[in-house]
Amino acid sequence: MRVTTNQQPDQPIGFAARSRRAGTVLAMTVLVVLLMLASLGVGAVELSPLTVIDALLGRGGEIEQVIVQDIRLPRAILAVAVGAILGLSGAALQGLLRNPLASPELFGAPQAAAFGAVLVIALGLADVRSYALPVAAIIAAFISVFALLAVAGRNAGMLLLILAGLAVSSLAGAATVLVMNLASNPYVALEIAFWMLGSLEDRSFRHVMLALPFILVGGAMLFGRRHAYRALSLGEETAQSLGIDVGRLRLWVIAGVALGVGASVAVTGSIGFIGLVAPHLMRPLVGQDPGRLLLPSALAGAGLLLAADIAVRLIPSTSDIKVGVLTSLIGVPFFLYLIIRKRRALSGGAA
Amino acid sequence: MNAAALRALALLGALLAAGAALAAERPSVASTNVCTDQMVMTLSDAAQIKGLSPYSRDPSQSWLAAEAHRFKRLSGGAEDLMMLRPDLVVSGSYDKRATREMLQQQGVKVVTFNVMPDSLDEVKQQIRKMAALLGHPDRAELEVARLDAAIARARAAVAPRALRVLPLWRRGWVSGQGSLISLLFAEVGLINAASDLGVASGGYASLEAIVKSKPDLILVADGADYAEDEGTALLLHPALQRFYPATKRIVIPERLTVCGGVMLADALDLLVAELTRIAR
Repeated sequence: MRVTTNQQPDQPIGFAARSRRAGTVLAMTVLVVLLMLASLGVGAVELSPLTVIDALLGRGGEIEQVIVQDIRLPRAILAVAVGAILGLSGAALQGLLRNPLASPELFGAPQAAAFGAVLVIALGLADVRSYALPVAAIIAAFISVFALLAVAGRNAGMLLLILAGLAVSSLAGAATVLVMNLASNPYVALEIAFWMLGSLEDRSFRHVMLALPFILVGGAMLFGRRHAYRALSLGEETAQSLGIDVGRLRLWVIAGVALGVGASVAVTGSIGFIGLVAPHLMRPLVGQDPGRLLLPSALAGAGLLLAADIAVRLIPSTSDIKVGVLTSLIGVPFFLYLIIRKRRALSGGAA
Repeated sequence: MNAAALRALALLGALLAAGAALAAERPSVASTNVCTDQMVMTLSDAAQIKGLSPYSRDPSQSWLAAEAHRFKRLSGGAEDLMMLRPDLVVSGSYDKRATREMLQQQGVKVVTFNVMPDSLDEVKQQIRKMAALLGHPDRAELEVARLDAAIARARAAVAPRALRVLPLWRRGWVSGQGSLISLLFAEVGLINAASDLGVASGGYASLEAIVKSKPDLILVADGADYAEDEGTALLLHPALQRFYPATKRIVIPERLTVCGGVMLADALDLLVAELTRIAR
């Protein structure tokens, strides 16, 4: 549904802004490709860049080929896909709610998705490599975001959304730990760490096949409504007068976020704060228009997760550092910084 | 009824009384560790057992899990032990120290066993120690003989070429030197490949490093193609499956290798059987 030119709600963007956005997208794409190559080059076994390229093209020793193709490549692909859908989800939610603090993790979506996945495992319903896992995670993520927006109401202020999100994520986190405790698995502590913190370590193409279809569908759903977010930025009435059914748009976005985030969590555990940070990194570069923020945010999310996943392999440590720990270490101070910046709105806007 | 029959009856009565007295002398026992559970179940009379550890019925860790259902399962804390008042509590050296100390303060006799013994001789020693405590020293000799027989069979099966085998558990945990599995390997003439990965006594190894170091075989606890959680999914990673299909995996359930106890005889026999299967 393309809005006609004379109704276009935002300022018609000039040539300079347009080319700056194109430049940003191009630069981010190049960055993501470079980081992906770096991700293929980093690991427990040292391989020279030439060896990596050879192995990628199916040349060289069998061991090197297996390391690059079967161990590092699925990991890099998942980092791109999961990072991108988290960034895109954050940008879409911020656009939908006209709220710069909206993001899947502050709404408890990854925590709820982890609960859905853990429930399937604890009940012994399925192999962790079966589609039951992403499906359960997606359903749980959908319920959590839907419940949150229902509780917070249509025109919820930032404070209300954050408080409701905190409640949902605490509940989901506690339920996850409880379910694991009840599930007679003696290795429960390690498994809890995985689901709460998230990791991309030693994923295989089976994991990629589990998550990627849902991520692509969710991403397409979120990206497809980019003009609607733009209309919404002028206010709900204006958007309605432009023919946008805000209620249906909400459901659509919740479903898209649930598909993407749920499928991601089912294979990586919950990785936080990328959805919050990515759109904010891109706003100074491409402007406030929520419709034009989506693609750059997805690229920024992919870049962030790739970089974090490279860093956990480079930081010397006795046991593997969880990538979710790193994204939270970066994300939480950023979140606090955002709160400081929005302090006035937050303290006055408990509507 | 003639005199002879009467005498026989009296003798029988005396014997029964003596037997009862003997049984009464044998201490009642409770175990707080899955490894001491196994020794208690093997070496004592059922009537002596007052309770077993929380994991005693878990078939993945407890060798005699089926039998453990006959006995009370304890919480693992001090409370129910104080109520049961067994003559003897046996526990593992890595068990909750606070629980052990609290019991000792209450005057309960607590004996600690090293559940990660350094040698098979220490294993035998612990079997004897437990049997003596339980009042059945004869049963220890039976079990030690069984273990010795298994060791002899293993030594007879030593292959001409020493294979490098990596004992790989969930999440990529590798058992190194000094582990029970290494003790078993030594008897069958296998080399623990953990040292190739820079793992000393035990630690996590990355999938890449495992593939790169390329041990001859890997030893896993489960041969099924089913990942119940992400920890087991690692062992079914395509990269590992490619180099280590079922024909290159020694499968020995964890319940046989997690404790230094009487089940090591079964573990050794299974190890020999698995090596024969793989050699075929």
